[in-house]
Amino acid sequence: MRKDQNLGEYLRMQGVSRRGFLKFCSATASLMALPPSAVSQVAEALATARRPSVIWMSFQECTGCTESLTRSHAPTVESLIFDAISLDYHHTLQAAAGHGAEAAREAAMEENKGEYILVVDGSIPNGNNGYSTIAGISNHDMLIEAAADCFAIVAVGTCASFGGLPQANPNPTGAVSVSEIIKDKPIINVSGCPPIPVVITGVLAHFLTFGTIPELDALGRPAAFFGQNIHDRCYRRPFYERGQFAETFDDEGARKGWCLYKLGCKGPTTYNACATLKWNQGTSFPIQSGHGCIGCSEPSFWDKGGFYDPISAGQWGSRDALLGAAAAGAALGVGSALAARARKKKAQAAEEV
Amino acid sequence: MSSLETIPVTTEVATGNVEPLLHEIRHALKRLIEGKEGTVIDLKRLPLAPGEEERIAATLGTGEVRAEVDALGPTLIQETSYPGVWLITHKNVDDVVVARFVEVTYIPELLRSQQADIDAGINRLENELKN
Amino acid sequence: MTLLEFASGPGLQWALWIFVLGITWRVVGAVFLLSRKDISKPRHTNTISAGLGAVWSRSAPAPAFEKKIRFQHVTGYAWHFALFISVLFFAPHILFFESVLGFSWPHLPNSIILVTAIIATAVLVALLIRRATHPVQRFISNADDYISIFVVLVPLLTGILAFTHFGARYETLLAVHLLSVEVMLIWFPFGKLMHMIMTMPARFQAGTAFGRRGVKA
Repeated sequence: MRKDQNLGEYLRMQGVSRRGFLKFCSATASLMALPPSAVSQVAEALATARRPSVIWMSFQECTGCTESLTRSHAPTVESLIFDAISLDYHHTLQAAAGHGAEAAREAAMEENKGEYILVVDGSIPNGNNGYSTIAGISNHDMLIEAAADCFAIVAVGTCASFGGLPQANPNPTGAVSVSEIIKDKPIINVSGCPPIPVVITGVLAHFLTFGTIPELDALGRPAAFFGQNIHDRCYRRPFYERGQFAETFDDEGARKGWCLYKLGCKGPTTYNACATLKWNQGTSFPIQSGHGCIGCSEPSFWDKGGFYDPISAGQWGSRDALLGAAAAGAALGVGSALAARARKKKAQAAEEV
Repeated sequence: MSSLETIPVTTEVATGNVEPLLHEIRHALKRLIEGKEGTVIDLKRLPLAPGEEERIAATLGTGEVRAEVDALGPTLIQETSYPGVWLITHKNVDDVVVARFVEVTYIPELLRSQQADIDAGINRLENELKN
Repeated sequence: MTLLEFASGPGLQWALWIFVLGITWRVVGAVFLLSRKDISKPRHTNTISAGLGAVWSRSAPAPAFEKKIRFQHVTGYAWHFALFISVLFFAPHILFFESVLGFSWPHLPNSIILVTAIIATAVLVALLIRRATHPVQRFISNADDYISIFVVLVPLLTGILAFTHFGARYETLLAVHLLSVEVMLIWFPFGKLMHMIMTMPARFQAGTAFGRRGVKA
């Protein structure tokens, strides 16, 4: 797609009829969690939308976020949106490599100064900048340089949004999130390990349609997708209310699809769209497949107790510590009782004198 | 792997969202009759248990009109057994469902021929006739 | 560290530690403060049945007073009953106890728990108002009484709010609920909430002491 074309012209050139374009807009509006009444507004905006330049930087990541996004092989709504942006730099997807690729990146950044979107996946090691480098440049320095002239940053995945797996105890590389380094640019955290693909494209679609960043929650995540917790949208909620829980993974309750709270489901404290949008184009999500939510879109989810320990068990230490407290209490008890008795004896002796 | 298949799996679940949805459709029909504009309900935005979407489609049933649109993949527009209530299923070229709507209207927008397409079409016809 | 991480982590750890230490301190101290052996000739030697008898008989008002204090009698039991059901038979609570104690017990459906929690809260508020307005009650009540009531009332209220997801984000409500429970745990060994541990043994002891002398307590 030519840079000077808008999205409407691009789709028409692809042979997409107006009817097809309306179908695309309906699906896109649904994807952006907009009400169906907004479809005409979306159509109007998308028809004249300009093609934004996107620079995608991958730092300390597993590439799962890119994989999640690109798993579709045939044109889907997601891939069309992806086509609509000008992806000027992406390690896994680009054909170029080496100095040529870096030069292309710098040229794209210069050409679109102040307007390009910077997408980041992976955390940034702050412990020793040598832990993760690209073309000899540390992640930290590359991020600072790229963020300087961008319009906004989309931190894709829990690693970029909150630190993710690298940040888990003991955090050997000193991994931090994008928002812990960049303080002067708008950052959209699209968390999840990985995020649901339509959530990533939903954010891009929002930007394409409205040219602004979507409404964010307290953790900087798009409120449209991260505004409800899994527990409140989970279809197994009636079982929770009735007190019907699966006790093990293969018992009667598990087979009947009962609530997985006792098996460690972190749904009540996790905010994501898994329960409504689901995964693989609405096929299923972990709870529907019989495994509790692990809370992958929340900060420090690797360190919030075991995946199979229920939320209400807490992380209160060990029984040994409590036995130690009991021993200390017993000692205090004996000591204070003996002291009291001694005082009493003394008082009695004084009285008798 | 046959031992896995012998495990009976049942999901006797209900979100309780089917009845309210059908009521919402009823209210939308009332609004349509009163002369107000149509309503579109996005089925993907509702938490539905496995099987409930099928229950909704089964409850609504099939009516007199069934249209297959081929634009960016197949789209099925089915008037349900309740006239004015249309079930629209958008699929991509891989036959995967990308969106599902219930539209309460006299005729879904997607069935109408679009002005831009008519304009492009008349140009093509004129060119065809010239040659 | 977020509020919830603190409340379900170090906060809980310290509160439990102080709770266990405080209670063992007071109980062991009380045991070691018991009076010297009574060397007079006993009228009855079956002190266990005398003790249990006192626990039973003192669980209800003396017949002569029953009518006059019926209000306190009924509301007292209603409050305790509702509280125990809400605390001990709610599934997430049982999972917490299981992680501490190592064993669990059956739970009740959430709808029942919500009803009992609301009853417990309402009764406690009513009793608190009575305590603050009734002239005799007001006269004999001290800081310990009011603090003990408040540290139990706040967990009840915040528990209902967290359960109904009302007022703030769920994690905040949950964290506040946990913190209020931790405050209660820390206060517990040092105030009148110790009656939970002391009441039955105290009645038993009175029963045995009197029983020895042939008096029905």
